[in-house]
Amino acid sequence: MIRSTALRRQLVGAVAVAAATALILSGCSGSANQKVDKAAPKVLSGNVSFWHFFTDREAKVIQSVVDDFEKANPKVHVSVHSGQDDTKLQQAISAGNNVDLGMSYSTDIVGSFCTSGAFRDLAPYIKRDKVDISALTPVTRSYTEFNGKRCAMPALTDDYALYYNTDLMTAAGITSPPRTLSELETDALKMTTYNADGSIKVLGYDPLMGYYENAAAHYGPAAGAKWLGSDGKSVIGSDAGWPELMKWQTAFVKKIGYAKLKRFSASLGQEFTAQNSFQKGKLAMNMDGEYRTAFIADQAPDLKYATAPFPTADDHTDLYGGGYITGNIMGISKGSQNPELAWALLKYMTTDTAAVVKLANGLKNIPHLTSALKSPDLVVSAQYKTFVDVAQNANSSTTPPSPVGAGYQQTFEQYWDKYQETGAGDLAAGLTKVDKQINASLALVSGP
Amino acid sequence: MTTLAERTTGRAVIAARPGQQRARRRRLLVVFGMLLPALLGLAVFFVYPLLASIFFSLTRYDGLSDPQWIGLRNYQYLFTEDPNVWVAAGNTLWFVVIMVPVKLAFAFAVAGLLTRARRSSGVWRTLFYLPALVPPVASVVAFVFLFNPGTGPINLILSFFGVKQGPLWFNDPNLSKPSLLLLAVWVMGDVMIIFLAGLLDVPRELYEASSLDGANGPQKLRYVTFPAMIPVLIFSLVTGVIAALQYFTEAAVASTVALGKASVGEGIGATLGYPDNSLLTYTEWLYVRGFSNFQFGYASALAVLLFIVAAAFLVLFLRKVKAFMPEEATS
Amino acid sequence: MTSLPLRQVVATTAVVARAPRRRGRRPLAWVAEHVVLVALAILFISPIVFVFLTSVMTSNQTLSATLWPDPWTWNNYVEAFQRVPLARWFGNSAIYATSATLLMLLSSIPAAYVLARIKFRGANVIFVAIIIAMLLPPQVTAVPVYLMWSKLGLTGTLLPLILPNALGDAFSIFLLRQFFLTIPKEYADAGRIDGNGEWGVLVRVILPMAKPGIAATAIFMFFNSWNDYYGPLLYTSENPQWWPVAYGLATFRGIHGTDWGLTMAITMLVMVPVVLIFFFAQKIFVEGITLTGVKG
Repeated sequence: MIRSTALRRQLVGAVAVAAATALILSGCSGSANQKVDKAAPKVLSGNVSFWHFFTDREAKVIQSVVDDFEKANPKVHVSVHSGQDDTKLQQAISAGNNVDLGMSYSTDIVGSFCTSGAFRDLAPYIKRDKVDISALTPVTRSYTEFNGKRCAMPALTDDYALYYNTDLMTAAGITSPPRTLSELETDALKMTTYNADGSIKVLGYDPLMGYYENAAAHYGPAAGAKWLGSDGKSVIGSDAGWPELMKWQTAFVKKIGYAKLKRFSASLGQEFTAQNSFQKGKLAMNMDGEYRTAFIADQAPDLKYATAPFPTADDHTDLYGGGYITGNIMGISKGSQNPELAWALLKYMTTDTAAVVKLANGLKNIPHLTSALKSPDLVVSAQYKTFVDVAQNANSSTTPPSPVGAGYQQTFEQYWDKYQETGAGDLAAGLTKVDKQINASLALVSGP
Repeated sequence: MTTLAERTTGRAVIAARPGQQRARRRRLLVVFGMLLPALLGLAVFFVYPLLASIFFSLTRYDGLSDPQWIGLRNYQYLFTEDPNVWVAAGNTLWFVVIMVPVKLAFAFAVAGLLTRARRSSGVWRTLFYLPALVPPVASVVAFVFLFNPGTGPINLILSFFGVKQGPLWFNDPNLSKPSLLLLAVWVMGDVMIIFLAGLLDVPRELYEASSLDGANGPQKLRYVTFPAMIPVLIFSLVTGVIAALQYFTEAAVASTVALGKASVGEGIGATLGYPDNSLLTYTEWLYVRGFSNFQFGYASALAVLLFIVAAAFLVLFLRKVKAFMPEEATS
Repeated sequence: MTSLPLRQVVATTAVVARAPRRRGRRPLAWVAEHVVLVALAILFISPIVFVFLTSVMTSNQTLSATLWPDPWTWNNYVEAFQRVPLARWFGNSAIYATSATLLMLLSSIPAAYVLARIKFRGANVIFVAIIIAMLLPPQVTAVPVYLMWSKLGLTGTLLPLILPNALGDAFSIFLLRQFFLTIPKEYADAGRIDGNGEWGVLVRVILPMAKPGIAATAIFMFFNSWNDYYGPLLYTSENPQWWPVAYGLATFRGIHGTDWGLTMAITMLVMVPVVLIFFFAQKIFVEGITLTGVKG
C-alpha cells in the first residue's frame, strides 16, 4: 500500500523513466531495411565472420572448405568462430556482436530467427543470383523456411536409421534386420543377455526415451506421426501415430524393466565418445544418425556392423525406407556488417556441389543437394548408403519450424519421458493436455 | 577546520554559524563523494533493473525486435498455462523446506559434538569445514561421479554389502533432490562453524545453574541452549532460505553432468531439470525462458514473482536479524 | 553471485576460535563421542579421496568395478592441460577474481566507512537498500542487466562480471561496515582532531586498523568470483576464450563425456587453489574474527 500521493507520484515517475530507458536500451531495430545490390560484386574483398558449432575434427573439415573459399577469393578473410551453440549464436546476434554468417546444429531456430529477423530474408539474393532452390532435397527445403520466408539454407543433413551389430545378430541366429517395431523388439529381447546378478550385460536395443538418439522426433516417421497442423497448432493429441509409438515403447521398457534399463544406460559410456555402447558391443542395435559411421571408422574400426532403414510401426509397413531428417542450417545475421560476403560464402558452402560433397565426405553427413547425393565423388560405404537412400525417400520427414523452436517437441517429450516410467494414466487425456500446453506457449510468443 | 561538536560526534549535521556553513558543505561533499560509487551501483544494478523488470514483464520481447506491450498476458500464462513453472516452484520449495532445515539440524548436531571434543578440536573443525571450501561446481561434479549408478564408488561399496542393484541417485527423479541434499549436508561446514561459535558463547554458568536445578540433558538443550542460540539460528535460517530460493548452480551442474549427453551444438537449456524436471528449480526455469528461449518479457514476469516472494520473506524476517538493521550505526 | 557467501565469511572467521576446556567427563561418553566423530570424519573426507583415486586411474579402469587405481597414472593431469585449455581457464579465473576484488575494495571501502562512522540524513535508507540488494536473488534483476550489457556489446567477455564491482558490492559493503563498527569511534575522532579530513581519517587511521577485516572481505570476494558459475554461464558461455575454470569444468563432461579420470583430475585441480589460499590465509582470518551480527 502506498499511502502518500507524493510518494506514489514519485514511484510512477520512476517507473516511467525506467520504462523509457528500457525502450531506448532495447533499441529500435524492428524494421531492418534490407538493401541488396542490383548485382553481385565482381570482386569480393573484406572480412566476414562465420560462427558454427563444430569442434575438433569436424571444425577442421569446415575450415578446409572455408580455406577453399578464401583461395578462390584471395581478398576475403573469413574469421571462423567454432563451438558456438544456438544459445550463444542468438545471444551474439541479439547483442549485435559481429556475426555475419551463422550455422546452427538444428532446424529449431528457423521459426524464431525468420520471425524476428535474426536471420535475414534470403529471397532477394536468391532471386538476384538465380539460385535454383529445387536443387535442395524436398525435406531440407521445407525446414529452412518459415511462413513462406526463406531465411536459411540447409548445410548437410543428418538422417536416422538402424545400426546393428552383425556379430551379435549372427550369434542370435538373426539373418536380416527388423522391418517392424514388433520385429525390432523380438530381435532385441533375443539378443539381450544378463549378468549373474540380474543386471544387463548386453542389450539388444535400448528403448528408453532420452537415451542417446531416442527422441520423439526421431521415432515419428516410423508411424507417419505429425506435429503441427497447417494452422501451426499442435496436432499431437489427434494423431493416431503417437499413441501407437508410445504404447509400443512403454510396453517394451516394461518387458525389461525401467530401473534395470536406466541403471544400464547410466553405467554406459557417453554417446559421443569412444565408450559409446554400440561401438563397445554392449548394445546390439541402435537408432543413430549417419555420422556414427565416421565415429566407428575412427574409434572402433574392428566393429562388424550394418545399417538399415529404421523399422516402421506394424500397420505402417508402407513407410519403410523413410526416416527422420534434420540438418544444420546457415543464415545471414541481422547485424551483418558485410552481407554480400556472407551471402557469397553461404552460397558457396550450400549450393556448390563440389563444396557440399567435400563437406559431406569430411563430416560424414548427408548432402542436402540432389546433385551431391548422386555425385560420383561422394564416398559411399555400404553402411552410409542406407542414409543416402533415406535422404531421397519420399517417406522421410522432419520436425516443422515453429516460433517456439523445439519447444513443442520438448513439451511432448517431457510427457513421454514420464509416461514411460509406468505406462499408467489416461494417454489420450495426457496428449490433449500436451496440445493445450504447446498451443498456449505458441500463443504467448506469437499470438495477438 | 572542524568544530568541536563534529569532532566528538562525527556528525555532519551541525547548527550553522557564519563561516562554518562552507566547511560543512565541503565536508558533506566529501562524504557524498565517498558514497557516490555505491549509490550509482545501487541505481544502475538494483533500482533500475527492478523497475525495468516490471516494465518488461508487461511486454513480449525477444531481444531482436522491439518490446511489444501485451499487458498482463505473461502473468496470465504464468498462472494458468505454463506447464513447468509450478513444478519448478515446487522443487525450489523442496530445497527451502527440506534441504535448509536438514542441513541446519545436521550442522547443529556436529557443532554440538565438537564442543565436547577436548583435544585437537581445531583439527576436527578444519576437517568438517574443508568440504565447504570446495568450489560448488567441483563438489557437484564429484558427487555425481561418486553416485554414478553404474560404476560410481558409492554403488560399488553398496554392492560389497549385498545391495546388488544400487539406487540410480542423480538419474532417478525421486532421488535426485535427496542426492543434492546429501551434497548440501557434506558442505554444511560453514553453518556448523557459526553454530560452534554460538554454542561456545553460551555462558557456562547457565549450564551449571541448570544442573543445580536438576535439569537433564534434553532439558538443558531446550531451556538453556536453544534460547541462547536463537539469534544464530535465525541468522542461519534467513540466509539459508534466501540461498535456497536462488538455488541454481548445484542443480544445473548436477543435471548437466548426470545426463552427460553431449548434444553437440545444443545449449544448456535442454538439459536443465534432468531427470524428468526433478531438478528444475525456479531460477533455472527463469534462465531457460529468458536466456535459452529468449522470451525476455516472460522471464521478467517470472523475475517479478520471485521478487515478490523474496521480498515478502525479507519483510517477515529481516527485522529479526540485528546485523541487518541500521540502528547499530548509532552505537 | 549465486549463493550467499555471508555464512561462509562468518564461518571462516570463526573457524579457528578456541574451545574452552571442560573438566571431568566419563570415559565411556568420550569413547562414544569420538567413535561418532571418527566415523563422520571418514565419511566427510572419503569423497575427496575417491575423487583423487579416480584421477589417477586409466579411463578404462574408471568404468570398471574397482576403487583402487591399478596401475597409478598421473597421465590424466598431463592430459587435462592438453585436452582443454586449462591454463587459459585458470588465467581467466585469476583475471576475473583479482580485478573484481581490487575494484570492489576501491569502491566499497569508502562507502562502508561512511555508513559505519558518519551520520547523515538518508543513511538508514541507503543501508537498508544495500541489505536488500545483498539478499535479493540476482535472478530478479538478471534480464534488464543482461540486456544492458548486451546493448553495450560486452556480453561474451568477463567485463559484465568485473565492472559492476567498481560501483560497490552490496555484500562487501555490508561486511566492511561490520568490521569498521568494531573499531572504537574514538580513533576516528582523534584523527579528526589531528586535522585529517574524512579521507585522511579513513586512509591514515581506519585502514591500518581494519587490515584483517579488509583482507577477509577481499578473500571472500576472490573465492566468490573464483567459484562463480551463474555469471559466466550468462555472460561468457558463447565465448570459450573467456571461460573461467569453474564454468569450464561444468561443461567439460558435456563435451568429453565419459572420461571420469580426466574429469576428476580437473576437479582436483580446481579445488586445490582455493584450499591452498585458505590454509595460507588462516592467520588473516584469525585476526579478523569479528561479529557479522551473528552474536546478535
